Amino acid sequence: MPLIEISGLSITLVTPRGNVHAVRSLDLEIRRGTIHGLIGESGCGKTITGMALLGLLPQGFRLAAKSFRFDGLELCDLAVSLRGRRIAMISQDPAAALNPVLSVGRQMDDVLRSHGGLPRHQRRAQALELLAATGLPDPLRVMQSFPHQLSGGMQQRVVIAQALATGAEFLIADEPTTALDVTVGAQVLALLQRLVTERGLTVLMITHDMDVVASCCDTASVLYAGHTVETGPVKDLLARPHHPYTQALLAALPDAAPKGQRLTTIEGQIPPPLEEITGCAFAPRCPKAMTVCRTESPLHHTTSSRSWSCHLEQTNV
Amino acid sequence: MSEPLLNVKDLVVRYPRRGLFAAPPAPAVNAVSFSVNPGQTLGIVGESGSGKSSLLRAILRLVPVESGTVQLAGNDWLNVSGAELQAQRGDIGVVAQNPYLSLSPRLTIAEIIAEPMQAQATVKRSQLRDRAAEILGQCGLPADFLTRKARELSGGQAQRVAFARALATNPKLLILDEPTSALDVSVQAQILNLLADLRVKFGLTMVFVTHNLKVVRHVSDTLLVMRQGAVIEAGLTEQIVTNPTQDYTRELMGYRTESQMI
Repeated sequence: MPLIEISGLSITLVTPRGNVHAVRSLDLEIRRGTIHGLIGESGCGKTITGMALLGLLPQGFRLAAKSFRFDGLELCDLAVSLRGRRIAMISQDPAAALNPVLSVGRQMDDVLRSHGGLPRHQRRAQALELLAATGLPDPLRVMQSFPHQLSGGMQQRVVIAQALATGAEFLIADEPTTALDVTVGAQVLALLQRLVTERGLTVLMITHDMDVVASCCDTASVLYAGHTVETGPVKDLLARPHHPYTQALLAALPDAAPKGQRLTTIEGQIPPPLEEITGCAFAPRCPKAMTVCRTESPLHHTTSSRSWSCHLEQTNV
Repeated sequence: MSEPLLNVKDLVVRYPRRGLFAAPPAPAVNAVSFSVNPGQTLGIVGESGSGKSSLLRAILRLVPVESGTVQLAGNDWLNVSGAELQAQRGDIGVVAQNPYLSLSPRLTIAEIIAEPMQAQATVKRSQLRDRAAEILGQCGLPADFLTRKARELSGGQAQRVAFARALATNPKLLILDEPTSALDVSVQAQILNLLADLRVKFGLTMVFVTHNLKVVRHVSDTLLVMRQGAVIEAGLTEQIVTNPTQDYTRELMGYRTESQMI
């Protein structure tokens, strides 16, 4: 059984002006012990999906799904969320995630105290061990430091150590490298990969960066306007994208065209979240759109490892 | 080869010491030299704290320079002052990373683009609007955007306005500080294409700062790799990207694993 099973998820904010569709039809399946990338551009619904998994949807948002399961538990029904127990989060900006006026040691202890009831000296030993596990070179000194005395990469490691301290088996990493320099970001991704191998963690990697996905994810889904348009193993997905949106996204990368040649762009804008969509959401911008694409919902194709939603059978062949 | 448009020699920028008895800090820019020929694009890559922004600020005359020279079109740019400096500032255009921060939220797009032209007094008052519409059109936005405000625009549209403002004074040199890193991939592609068009249309000479080596590879002819205030690698972009001599440059290439690297 996969750890995460989501199908037909929609998240809607009801406003006087109409329904704001943050997520329209999202399918997501994550196997244990893997890193799954959730790829998409601004406004595609990737962050709000993470929030929903954490049980942190802002007031007024309505969630509906065919299934929204974590380890077989229907998350919609749970009165108590699994956040901080089985699910933890690593945010984009570690400086904002940490409390600036408390030492790292105190912040680690806060997490451990609310989870274990271990005596103080054992909590301290465990905090040191967790900080060391994230590759921080001098855990003792880090414990005594305040967040501003640490570099961005060290701060992100502290945040990861806190996530581990909750004992969570599932981490939601929302753009964990965006605020970091490339070399530091690469180290953080390597750390997450190591934790997946050593501790059997499962990670949902929310990102817009194909390089992040290519370097650390096992499987990935591409979102467009709140729909999962394509899912598959990363290597295969990036080498042979089936959905025209995935193809367009990859063609827009600056290394897709030789220097001096124009990059392929995606004409038009994403559909406004207030708009009701008939047919395929990508059809108005799709170079391969047919008449049927504007009237009928796209067909769902599956193979042993891949799935995609498009009226075309296999668009890249 | 023609005379370089921008010629920087042994430039040192050092910020003031923090207290009376504190040791003077290490220079933010340490003896950096490079030149850019007319019509060429120079890329500068490096991490936070590598001195990229200090270098740009020094070229823009926004921070004092400790030593070294900067020549702009053959003139000693660092020793221009007063009204002359004011007049010549229009020779360098700037586009910053985040258009929502660099564009005033209170002004209309027309006012934003007209402001540098008014400061330079190069365009008659009656023609300001027409000229603003013209530049905006060249940056790919129709004239009806002139009455809007920055917050009503998408990130890509706002960055186009920032380009229009930078080009309003017909600059010789365009300085771009991470102009696409706040944008989505598909929008980034649009802006990079726009940049290529503008380069041809205006014969622009550009300095392009970024941490993304893939973007730099796409746009720049020559490349500087900076670390801790110094240039650690310089030369033709293609050469450095395909055959970096420094491990650090290789690390900067990004997240790809060894096997994926060309």
